[in-house]
Amino acid sequence: MMDAGRHPNIELLSYSAVVDVQGYVGNFQVRVKKKPRYIDLTKCTGCGECVKECPVEVDSEFEVGLTKRKAIYRPFAQAIPPAFVIDKRPSPCKSTCPAHIPVQGYIALIGQGKYDKALALIRETTAFVGTLGRVCHHPCELECKRKDVEAPLAICALKRFAYDVAAPTAPPPAPVERVYGEKVAIVGTGPAGLSAAYDLVRMGYGVTVYEALPVAGGMLAVGIPAYRLPKDVLQQEIDYIKALGVEIKLNTPIGRDGGPTLEDLRRDYDAVFLAVGAHRSRQLNVPGEDLPGVLHSTDFLRALNLGQEVKIGKRVAVIGGGNAAIDAARSALRLGSQVTIVYRRSRAEMPAIPAEVDAAEEEGIAFHFLATPVRILGENGRMTAMECIRMELGAPDESGRRRPVPVPSSEFTLEVDTVIVSIGQQPDLAPLAGVEATGWGTLTADPDTMATPVEGVFAGGDAVTGPASAVWAVAAGKRAAESIHRYLRGLDLRQGRVFEWPKAADIQVEIPAGIEKAARREMAALPMAERKSTFKEVELGFTEEEARAEAARCLSCAVCSECQECVKLCEAKAIDHNMREEFVDLEVGTIIVATGFADFDPTRLPQYSYGRSPNILTGMEFERLTSAGGPTGGEILTAEGKVPERVAIIHCVGSRDVNANRHCSRVCCMYALKHAHLVREMTGAEVYEFYMDMRTFGKGYEEFYERVQEDGVIFVRGRGTEVRVREDGKLVVRAEDTNLGRPVSATVDMVILGTGMEARPDADQVARLFGLGRTADGFFAEAHPKLRPVETNTEGVFLAGTCQGPRDVPDTVAHASAAAAQALALMSKGVVTISPTVSHVLTRFCTGCGKCVLACPYNAISLNGDGKAEVNAALCKGCGTCAAACPSDAIVPLHFTDDQLVAQIVGVLQ
Amino acid sequence: MSGDGFEPRIVAFLCNWCSYAGADTAGVSRLELPPNILPVRVMCSGRVSAEMVLKALLSGADGVLVLGCHIGDCHYGSGNHRTVKRIPLLRRLMTYMGIEPDRLRLDWVSGAEAGHFAKITTEFVEAVRALGPLSLPLREDLDTG
Ligand SMILES: Cc1cc2nc3c(=O)[nH]c(=O)nc-3n(C[C@H](O)[C@H](O)[C@H](O)COP(=O)(O)OP(=O)(O)OC[C@H]3O[C@@H](n4cnc5c(N)ncnc54)[C@H](O)[C@@H]3O)c2cc1C
Ligand code: SF4
Ligand code: SF4
Ligand code: FES
Repeated sequence: MMDAGRHPNIELLSYSAVVDVQGYVGNFQVRVKKKPRYIDLTKCTGCGECVKECPVEVDSEFEVGLTKRKAIYRPFAQAIPPAFVIDKRPSPCKSTCPAHIPVQGYIALIGQGKYDKALALIRETTAFVGTLGRVCHHPCELECKRKDVEAPLAICALKRFAYDVAAPTAPPPAPVERVYGEKVAIVGTGPAGLSAAYDLVRMGYGVTVYEALPVAGGMLAVGIPAYRLPKDVLQQEIDYIKALGVEIKLNTPIGRDGGPTLEDLRRDYDAVFLAVGAHRSRQLNVPGEDLPGVLHSTDFLRALNLGQEVKIGKRVAVIGGGNAAIDAARSALRLGSQVTIVYRRSRAEMPAIPAEVDAAEEEGIAFHFLATPVRILGENGRMTAMECIRMELGAPDESGRRRPVPVPSSEFTLEVDTVIVSIGQQPDLAPLAGVEATGWGTLTADPDTMATPVEGVFAGGDAVTGPASAVWAVAAGKRAAESIHRYLRGLDLRQGRVFEWPKAADIQVEIPAGIEKAARREMAALPMAERKSTFKEVELGFTEEEARAEAARCLSCAVCSECQECVKLCEAKAIDHNMREEFVDLEVGTIIVATGFADFDPTRLPQYSYGRSPNILTGMEFERLTSAGGPTGGEILTAEGKVPERVAIIHCVGSRDVNANRHCSRVCCMYALKHAHLVREMTGAEVYEFYMDMRTFGKGYEEFYERVQEDGVIFVRGRGTEVRVREDGKLVVRAEDTNLGRPVSATVDMVILGTGMEARPDADQVARLFGLGRTADGFFAEAHPKLRPVETNTEGVFLAGTCQGPRDVPDTVAHASAAAAQALALMSKGVVTISPTVSHVLTRFCTGCGKCVLACPYNAISLNGDGKAEVNAALCKGCGTCAAACPSDAIVPLHFTDDQLVAQIVGVLQ
Repeated sequence: MSGDGFEPRIVAFLCNWCSYAGADTAGVSRLELPPNILPVRVMCSGRVSAEMVLKALLSGADGVLVLGCHIGDCHYGSGNHRTVKRIPLLRRLMTYMGIEPDRLRLDWVSGAEAGHFAKITTEFVEAVRALGPLSLPLREDLDTG
């Protein structure tokens, strides 16, 4: 193998798959997909340093799950090439996260106690670690695969933990050096605007952010109350962004109150990003709305958050079901009022984060679902009550939610003195002359690139989507930053970017068998009395223990967590996490298919109890157990670490069995004898070997069988029919001894199943790719069972090894050598002899209709200068489809001409 | 109808790569096959033109069976895509000519499906036996040649 790897004329394309084959013998075009290895083969020295800090461990495929390997690994010690590879797959959490934060990475780092590194890793994607860790609506948790075990991970709370433990002591960042001369203006300091600023400044651009309000942070600062997001957390994260070199101009509205206009920005800056949010509250449009005591949630929360004095009454009704409504209600409660939320749909339709709704209810807020105000009543200019009407849910509207319709004569009255309206917000676009708005009153921008129709102007966040959520705003800001960079560098806005990530539902994750359930941790909360009367933070965060335990529940769906620890250790600088898959186009004359076999999976035959005891092994597992590099260093031990006293070996598991495969797998008898010999020699244990027939088919094999008989192995002729796991862990094997003609059983410490070989599960796809046939057993079909064992029906394609049928190593080597010889013989000739069954055009009959051109599967026919069909004999395979299509019998497949076939038909009928 | 000793004669067009191989496998496996099947090997089921089918019927066959590779498995990639369009058209044409369309059948047999080959041929022979001999008044006079 080593020699093949080093040979100058052999190029190994490892970690690759053939995806397309075109052409014909001597002229194949093969397209190969090279999976990203994330390691530069030319640089990797194979030293193995990188493995040390990798936090992810999974079962080793090579050791058939008996040992663990890291996410960065060398498939096995003698692997060719000897370089490492990173096993990286999509994970539901990172795919679902709108900002695509490497969730599993920071969870793995937290699990190892590397909190600084976890924080630094999240900060590579976003500066809002403590903020998102508190207010994110965490769609990732809905998709976390751990939900299939018991409950999703507390991903959001873990992010918060990383911030809480590591941020206070993390050194402040140094300003980023300017790389590019261009400057970008950003309007709005919400999560969208500041995320774009964060990414752009780190790329090396000059960034100025304009903010109308006296504080930065957008709705994070003036919408979300302090009991959910303490002011110092947000401020610290904004300071972090500023420290990198972002300039923030507060109290500077764009396009109004004397501030610069959009035109000014377009002139003075090289690009503009509009992230103005959605702050204009929608009106109720009911009588009495102008009474004093009617407030809007955005104004109410802004005033509260800015520390201004706010006056509300004793009995407050909040109208709406979004986050702003819940926040307004919980804030009013904290100011000492009695609060009722009135929402026109049911609880399930509420757009607010469900946990927030629960918290509001716990704190004593009343809910009126399926109700809406019809008028606000007043006396002497003072509010006295609000009249509502009950609603029921009708047909779904364009948002997919069922539209509420009023129930006639169901009015009722609530006695209130304050009404806080929170039924939605729109962006205030009036000051931004020149931009385009949608029918919804939001800004028009491409949802992928964030480009607006105005040259050099981009937009994102709530201003484009309408009120959404912080993480979507972060994601929009990041996308806009990348687009602005491309725009300024004259690059295509789309090329090579991934806008659609795999859907969580399409991501296959194998949940390890026998995984132990572990309850999801929840954060402790402030005592209720304090919650109701102060604006202190309600959720208290994880303790270190809780965080570590929670992190340990992660299933490592993506395997590689992208924590970047390996990159830091690799001295050769060979690791590149951004590698993408590549396609290589090869021109080859011949193809040898050597795709191998699949080991029979004994769980398909439940009578053997495979998987129910760790001491029931497949032949392959036993091979690994006895290997010096294996889990026990080559010693034969039970899972309990004891030397077995009695061992049973069962032949033909999954072979010669109508319930599995009918074929004989050929190699199992001999490997089972080898196993028996090893067990006798190394442990002296009693060995019972259950066999149907002993097939010692090769040179020296019968002699070996005799020797094993002399070893004292007890041979029982008859199929092992059942393995039962006894309560004490012992294994009871039953069989029928066909020599004695009666059932027998043996109680043993270890069972080795002689699992057979079968065609690989992807054999069908491979067969189609290379134009191969398959025999009834599923293996690839050779051209002739006796005379042409390595050729296939597709000329120039040969078979080598077990993809064609079960065989042992010497036979595989022989078969492969034969395939090589056949391929060489073909190539050294340099010409191919094709079969004479090709089509031929009788020019005088050809009308040039072109039907044959369309019919030919090989494009072997074309119309020549005279408008007549012409066959390229090298391409024609002689299928004759053209002849059947030709309306004037002008094209004849030689040896299968019409006359010849008709003669045959007439002949057989005589 | 089968009581009168009528033995239908069936021309079976077998593509070289799948169905002919399937027939071969059936023979090697010593499966019982109806002797009524008269095989004609073609390279691909796509080679079987309307003319071939009609010629067989006019020359005395009581039924015609066209067997090819399963869709997707055609040795020539798409040869059988043509067959799949052609045969239903031919069956309609046969209806016009006053021939029961069920005397023509298209099916797929892979090289490994010996049992399937035996089953299809046996079934088809029985179906044609039930239809009785094909009587074409003009059989002798008609000639497509
Ligand atoms: C009360 C409330 C609670 C919420 N709770 C949550 C939550 O728990 N979780 C969650 O994920 N999301 C929540 N959201 C939604 C989230 O806050 C927003 O989706 C997010 O802040 C939108 O970010 P943005 O950058 O697009 O806009 P914003 O955060 O609104 O920022 C826009 C900024 O632009 C400024 N601006 C506007 N016009 C101009 C102008 N002409 N010149 C200069 N500056 C201007 C504004 O003053 C503002 O600072 C909540 C929203 C509200 C209102
Ligand atoms: S188990 Fe871990 S990797 Fe998988 S989705 Fe959940 S957090 Fe992500
Ligand atoms: S189908 Fe026949 S007539 Fe038409 S171009 Fe081909 S050979 Fe000529
Ligand atoms: S080769 Fe069998 S149908 Fe085309």
